[in-house]
Amino acid sequence: MMRSGVGRLLSALRRSPMLLAGVLMVLAFVSVGVLAPWIAPHDPRADSGISYQSPSREHLLGTNDGGADIFSRLVWGSRTTLQVAVLATALILVIGLAVGLTAGLRGGLVDTVLMRIVDIFLALPVIPLLLFVAALAERSLALSILMIGLFTWPQTARIVRSQTLTLRSRGYVANARGFGAGPFYVVTRHLVPTLGPIIGANLVFVAGVAVTTEAALSFLGLGDPAAVSWGAEINRALMSRQISFGTLWLSWLVPFGLALTLAILGFTLIGVALEPWSNPRWRRSQR
Amino acid sequence: MRRQGAVADPVITPEADVGLEASQVLGARPSRRQSKWVTIGSYVVTVFLLITFNFALPRLMPGDPIDAMMALSATTVLNDDTRGALEQYYNLDVPLPRQYLSYLTGLGRGDLGVSIVSNRPVTEELGKRVGWSLLLLLSASAIAMLIGIPLGIHSGWKRGKGVDRSLLGFFLAVQNLPIFILGSVVFILFIAKWDLFPYGSATTPLSDYHGLSEVADIIRHLALPALLMSFDFVTYEYLVMRSAMVGELGSDYLLGGRAKGLSERHLKYRYAGRNALLPVVTVIGLQFSLAIGAGLIIIEGIFSYPGVGGYMLGAVGTRDYPAMQGAFLVLTVGVVTTNLVVDLLYHRLDPRVAT
Repeated sequence: MMRSGVGRLLSALRRSPMLLAGVLMVLAFVSVGVLAPWIAPHDPRADSGISYQSPSREHLLGTNDGGADIFSRLVWGSRTTLQVAVLATALILVIGLAVGLTAGLRGGLVDTVLMRIVDIFLALPVIPLLLFVAALAERSLALSILMIGLFTWPQTARIVRSQTLTLRSRGYVANARGFGAGPFYVVTRHLVPTLGPIIGANLVFVAGVAVTTEAALSFLGLGDPAAVSWGAEINRALMSRQISFGTLWLSWLVPFGLALTLAILGFTLIGVALEPWSNPRWRRSQR
Repeated sequence: MRRQGAVADPVITPEADVGLEASQVLGARPSRRQSKWVTIGSYVVTVFLLITFNFALPRLMPGDPIDAMMALSATTVLNDDTRGALEQYYNLDVPLPRQYLSYLTGLGRGDLGVSIVSNRPVTEELGKRVGWSLLLLLSASAIAMLIGIPLGIHSGWKRGKGVDRSLLGFFLAVQNLPIFILGSVVFILFIAKWDLFPYGSATTPLSDYHGLSEVADIIRHLALPALLMSFDFVTYEYLVMRSAMVGELGSDYLLGGRAKGLSERHLKYRYAGRNALLPVVTVIGLQFSLAIGAGLIIIEGIFSYPGVGGYMLGAVGTRDYPAMQGAFLVLTVGVVTTNLVVDLLYHRLDPRVAT
């Protein structure tokens, strides 16, 4: 029984509250990010004149050390996170697909060499490398995204490769080739449709990892200094001398921590819920 | 079911109802069944790449290292003599291949250069800190084992029951939460607001503790960072222990043991628990290497714990290149070496992989 991907997704949503919760969290985060200019009441960088204001009707979460409206920074921060999630994931998808498909389809020496490279990349610790590069280069959001992409693709490549191998051995790829189909045709008509769900589930995880890494990087003070970012704001709150007084931490640090937690939790929930649905081995063993 | 040539992906036991193999959770390592020598060869190449990267990156960046160094203080203007002397001091006046060669021979002697900020050998500075980092990692690992393994055994044994479902739900939900959020909140509450724990070093400076009171002092400084780091460890140890335990549930030897009249407790811990322990051993090792690569920098940064991770962060902040490079090398080589040890241990421990 082959139903369309959308139909399966909808019925999966109805069956799994975990998936539903995850999708709602990610949707909320995405829509705040997209609609930031209309939601945020203030310019996130504008100095209102008074630092460390308590929450009020004018400033829902008060103001930070620079006198900027914390709520507006929270809203705009989701846009930065969204950019990282989308762009880094796209980069990872492109590299992972290219390497994984090449290795899986070509096989032989090409496969061996590519997989050795994947192994080496998997063994490299990402955060120290990013720190090292960020310390030396001009810091920008584009650099963060590029670096996250360049160091997070190997897992996707490996999944794509192993799935390509199993698909290839099923015979219909060889059949199509036998009927004269070119490699491009095989990839677009046979491989990508069957790989779709598996890669989709993997990408949700990857997006979560990208968001976490960017947040950690800007928390360590190595993100784009000009960007309004959740991780950087948590760091800023933590470094502020005023943070231990009164309830400032509740209106400043906690909202950013919570926003980040919910966004990442959303990705995790979707990933966990999709796992049995997307893993072919698993699907077989359950039916 | 498994086809030749398609063995690169982790093996998922049909019983594992969340599909969480150790290797899957931690990024598809290290279930690749490859020969020991390939593993070691890969390791050597990786270490060599890291060393080369460490050498090349600062030199590849636009601009001159001396300028970058001097950018720290806007008031310093170099005349040509001083610049020449500095270039000579940092060995920048010879061709690149010779610089690389002397960098390598220096490494061989354990020479990591001199810190710009403290003006002392980086090797000496790092030497003082490696011990504290190891103490932090080991104690966090021990705490995590004491919590994660029994919980995983219990949860797997009670698969599908209320206990299992709530534990599993909790750990699945928190598995990807960034440690720095919890760390920041803990820091603000326990240190900044309530002042319950000391902060900023591993011992009380200028104190005169001996014997037990010295140990107590060290534990007071260690407590919060170690607990936080163990939180990072516990999740995966639990998830993998549980999944391995579930894999043992239907085994014949359990049926045999029951028929013999062994107690449930005995079967649970001595039989199934012991058999399910192997993947967890791997996870403990991998967690260790992950923590060297990430947790150490973040947690030591938050609590100003005097380890290698915090040192690297500080060096990045002050643009102290030799210190930064030294710490980078220690951390990254630490990570890949731990990975190697885990891989080799895995070969030794698992009779199916042992050749």
